[in-house]
Amino acid sequence: MPLLSDLTAAVAAGKRTDTVRLTQELLAAGTSPQDVVEKGLVPGMAIVGDRFKRNEIFVPEMLVAARAMKEALKLLEPLLAAAGIKPKYTAIIGTVQGDLHDIGKNLISMMWRGANFAVIDLGTNVTAEKYLAAAKEHKANIVGLSALLTTTMPSMKETVRILKSSGLDGLKVVIGGAPITQEFANDIGADGYAADAGSAVDLAKRLVGEAA
Amino acid sequence: MKPSSLTGRQRVNRMLARRDHDRVPRCDTFWADTIARWQREGLQWDQNDVLRLLECDFQGLCWSWPAPFPLQRDVLASDAETETVRDGWGGVARYWKGRSGTPEHISFDCDSREKWERIYKPAMLAAPIQVDTRMALLRYREGRKLGRWTHLSGVEGFEALRRLIGDEAFLMAMIDDPDWVRDIVKVHTDIVLRTYEAILAEGVAPDGLWIYGDLAYNHATICSPAMYRALVWPEHKRMADWAHARGMRVIYHTDGRVGAVLDLFIEAGFDCLQPIEAKAGMDIRVLAPAYGSRLAMFGNIDVMKMATNDLGLIEEEIRSKFAAGMATRGYAYHSDHSVPPQVSWETYRAIIGLIDRHGAY
Ligand code: B12
Repeated sequence: MPLLSDLTAAVAAGKRTDTVRLTQELLAAGTSPQDVVEKGLVPGMAIVGDRFKRNEIFVPEMLVAARAMKEALKLLEPLLAAAGIKPKYTAIIGTVQGDLHDIGKNLISMMWRGANFAVIDLGTNVTAEKYLAAAKEHKANIVGLSALLTTTMPSMKETVRILKSSGLDGLKVVIGGAPITQEFANDIGADGYAADAGSAVDLAKRLVGEAA
Repeated sequence: MKPSSLTGRQRVNRMLARRDHDRVPRCDTFWADTIARWQREGLQWDQNDVLRLLECDFQGLCWSWPAPFPLQRDVLASDAETETVRDGWGGVARYWKGRSGTPEHISFDCDSREKWERIYKPAMLAAPIQVDTRMALLRYREGRKLGRWTHLSGVEGFEALRRLIGDEAFLMAMIDDPDWVRDIVKVHTDIVLRTYEAILAEGVAPDGLWIYGDLAYNHATICSPAMYRALVWPEHKRMADWAHARGMRVIYHTDGRVGAVLDLFIEAGFDCLQPIEAKAGMDIRVLAPAYGSRLAMFGNIDVMKMATNDLGLIEEEIRSKFAAGMATRGYAYHSDHSVPPQVSWETYRAIIGLIDRHGAY
């Protein structure tokens, strides 16, 4: 029987055929779908985030790891749903109004998914109202805003203001993107900032109260 | 304003050869919204006139980004501001109506090697030359009359991949099917060089090549330096070799943090790096002493500082970076990418004055 650590290694290396095969084998051998996710895939994506943060791997390697995980999740999600198991936390992500850059935002989405958050990706050019509606609809714990243009930073500020004053209980708003800094996050009253997709996972976990 | 003793062409050539010259050569790029703001604030003409005021030393002759279906433009949807179009690259993109600006890429059609080989590669190879060679000749004559350094421009293979198959798809293909990626980069380079040959055949003798390809973002190169070396670099070298064999120099444009590949750029034969993005941690005060003798530096003046409109801060940025660049004799002015609309016309006029003051040798 394969080990969960084999699955972790396969997903971290972005090997999608191995990831899918090992997932099937683990399930067939009686490992619970929840363990496959939490003890197999999630640690694999954590390795990916860590290595990316240190520039040991780059965007292509991160993308293929996320793809491998996604394919394994396709097998696992129906089983988890049937057992009534849902990710504990829900995150909304999108690129702010006026901004079309989505590569960074997509990586955050993948890494949060890889940390076992349910992720709703609103795409690019997202208005404050749309973030707010999605946060309400999905009872989100976190909303992530991405901005790559200095000209869209004001729109980010406005969105943070609207989300923070919406009265949604416990909702955390985090921001990121090339021109964004911790200082800007403090200025506009966001709950957090992360510089890269690996750190974004640590940040999200910390804000929902899970040890990062 | 001081009288200049050299033409722009002589100045840039001397800068690239690290020979004495009178002042730092200059060029800049502006967002369309910036020019619109400046026109509201008193600028009477357009961006070409801003470049004249700046005493720009460079003259572009063409822009080469060959598409597989150059004439294709099927409008799929349209609203007051935008038009959704199946464009010459086969994908669907939303374009602004009545103003320039990067289109939003909605989908890409060239999504497999099979499709590339069956449809896109043959189409690219069969497509006619996509720049107006006659216009290039006119611009060349005009540039020479103005004494400017004339250059052929266009994108290189990495950027071509982005437009043809989309960012995520091509980045994964770099791992899944490196030969496919190599082939696209090679075909693109073949066509670009063929295009440039057609311009030379008009009797144009440019001073250089200024090629564009954003290889990096704020933290690093988008793919690893090893992957860049294996899949893209050979065609960069081929472009540089082609240019050098014809007596031209090569300026390479990339955004982002490219410190880890500067040696590879030098090895490829790039003569000059532009625009050296400050926000991505690039700083010529560090880079020029280390690389300036082998790679000329063009740009690096932080637009985030310009956007504060704080002239004290901007002057210190220009003074300190010019000093570092000028110490190598291989430095030219450019913003660290393009001047955004937060910069007022008054500020930019003052910036030109600061460039005059600090850029004289
Ligand atoms: C690729 C690119 C494009 C592509 C985008 C393709 C796409 N599908 O996204 C295209 C060509 C379409 C494009 C267009 C434009 N671009 Co552009 N682009 C870039 C470039 C080169 C790389 C961006 C990128 O993909 N990075 C890779 C990813 C992985 O990194 P990232 O996005 O930074 O994300 C990481 C972190 O920031 C963080 N993060 C990101 N989002 C979030 C969100 C949260 C919640 C958290 C916690 C973290 C986080 O984690 C990510 C992963 O580690 C940058 C240069 C740069 N230095 O970033 C310019 C850049 C962003 N672009 C710029 C500009 C000016 C433009 C244009 C206006 C015009 C132009 N000619 O380029 C248009 C604008 C279109 C629009 N309305 O949005 C400027 C912005 C400057 C400024 N003053 O604002 C930049 C900085 C270039 C420069 N040197 O000046 N661009």
